[in-house]
Amino acid sequence: MNLRFIGEFAWSYGIKSIPRGPSYVVASMMYPLVFLFLIVIFSSGKFLAFGVVGGFIAIVAENSLFSSSDAAFQRIELKFQDLLVTTRISHLDYILAMGLSFLAPSLPGIAVYAVIGAIIHIFTLASAALFAAILVLVLLSTLSIAFMIASFAKHTRNIWGISSIMVVLLTMVPPTFYPYTILPKAVLYLFMLSPVTLAAIASQGAFGLTPQLSYAIPLLVAETIIYFAIAMKLTKWREN
Amino acid sequence: MIEIKNVKKKYDDGTIALKGINLKIRSKVATVIGRNGAGKTTLMRILSTQLMPSSGTALIKGYDVVKEPNEIREIAVSIPQEAGPLGFLTPMEHLMMYLAARRVPVTEARIDAAKALREIELWDARNTPADMLSGGMKRKIFVAMALASNAEVVFLDEPTTGLDPLSRLEVWSAIKLLDSEMLITTHYMEEAQELSKEVVVVEGGRCVGHGSVGSLLKKFDGLVRAETSRPGVKTRYRVGSTSIEYIKARDAADYIRNGYTIKQITLDDLFVMKGVELES
Repeated sequence: MNLRFIGEFAWSYGIKSIPRGPSYVVASMMYPLVFLFLIVIFSSGKFLAFGVVGGFIAIVAENSLFSSSDAAFQRIELKFQDLLVTTRISHLDYILAMGLSFLAPSLPGIAVYAVIGAIIHIFTLASAALFAAILVLVLLSTLSIAFMIASFAKHTRNIWGISSIMVVLLTMVPPTFYPYTILPKAVLYLFMLSPVTLAAIASQGAFGLTPQLSYAIPLLVAETIIYFAIAMKLTKWREN
Repeated sequence: MIEIKNVKKKYDDGTIALKGINLKIRSKVATVIGRNGAGKTTLMRILSTQLMPSSGTALIKGYDVVKEPNEIREIAVSIPQEAGPLGFLTPMEHLMMYLAARRVPVTEARIDAAKALREIELWDARNTPADMLSGGMKRKIFVAMALASNAEVVFLDEPTTGLDPLSRLEVWSAIKLLDSEMLITTHYMEEAQELSKEVVVVEGGRCVGHGSVGSLLKKFDGLVRAETSRPGVKTRYRVGSTSIEYIKARDAADYIRNGYTIKQITLDDLFVMKGVELES
């Protein structure tokens, strides 16, 4: 693994790009914040904590999934992936570099949610640590899904649409912003195909918002490993 | 430097891009010329380990592109066709990232990147996001990457396609700074003449000519090109609506009287001749 490349890419393409394109940061924060606003309004504040926990997860997942657009654009239009293939880095280095660089624009949003979470006192040290670990799993699993999609994209215009659809399907529809307990069992099990659902269930349990499902975290870990393995297998690097 | 034995490439969709290329390239700088779709880029992608061949072998400095890709990646740099920079990033950031990918230690990378940017005259724009640079300057970022890498072998796939004449001159000057062995693909004949002495002509997935510019044009000794766009004219060669004949220079006056335009022979003519012969 080439950690220096991963760091250099994440620093330049992620952190340094924030002041050069701040609108992206604002855009990626907007939908979870709008959801939070609507949830608070319509639940008269009852689901505020769900909105905050869901916002954390959604902002990380959303940015990871949108990395598919950049991965496809860099491969199809810029030929940047071809340039990297002929160096000594592997597709694992590239996926992780892209993932970290897309975590960067999530940071301001994470900070906003951390402040809101602290104000409404939902964190304990233990729950915050567990939540951070869950967010890492969300990042890795959604990044894997993003690269699987990006690998099969033939036109960048398609990937822009597909990544937006994936964001809706994986972060808005599942119980990210609402209690998973209100869903019929069959629907919940179907939604569990998305690692975001499992992350939401585990987080809602960790913060004491809903009953903890004991298998949520092990299943999330398993899904992350499976999605990551599939992404490593399917991601086109040196072409055949 | 480069040895290619019966390399073929058939894509998954059934397209046969290379039908068996055999080549030995020994010059320091060689150019592969051919029309769009001739197979130049496929050949370049195979040689630079971006793409697997369907069959055949290719050796870069003795290393096999299929069995020893990492050894080739250690010594070679490849700049893909129409490679574009990451818009938000500056030339310096591009070079540092690329050198990190090539595992160049950070202190050395800083020195090499600065040296390359100065030599290629991008130093003043080193901290300007690539989106704000001209087309020629954007392309020079990639040449700077090759320069800073100090690679033994550099593959440049159509380095000046789409650039205006002045930008093309800028990129040529930058390429001439490279001290590496180079294989350049182009469909600009003057680029092949300007940058290399050894030229490979690829057409229809096959190598149809190979040698120095002089040897390739030897068959045209004493000839000039007579061309006309008049309809109904029957000539041996035809490109679009232009009828072309290769005639002895002393007969030029007769052709001019018949409405032909006379042109000096260039590498373009090899292209015209081979392309038309293959099509027929």
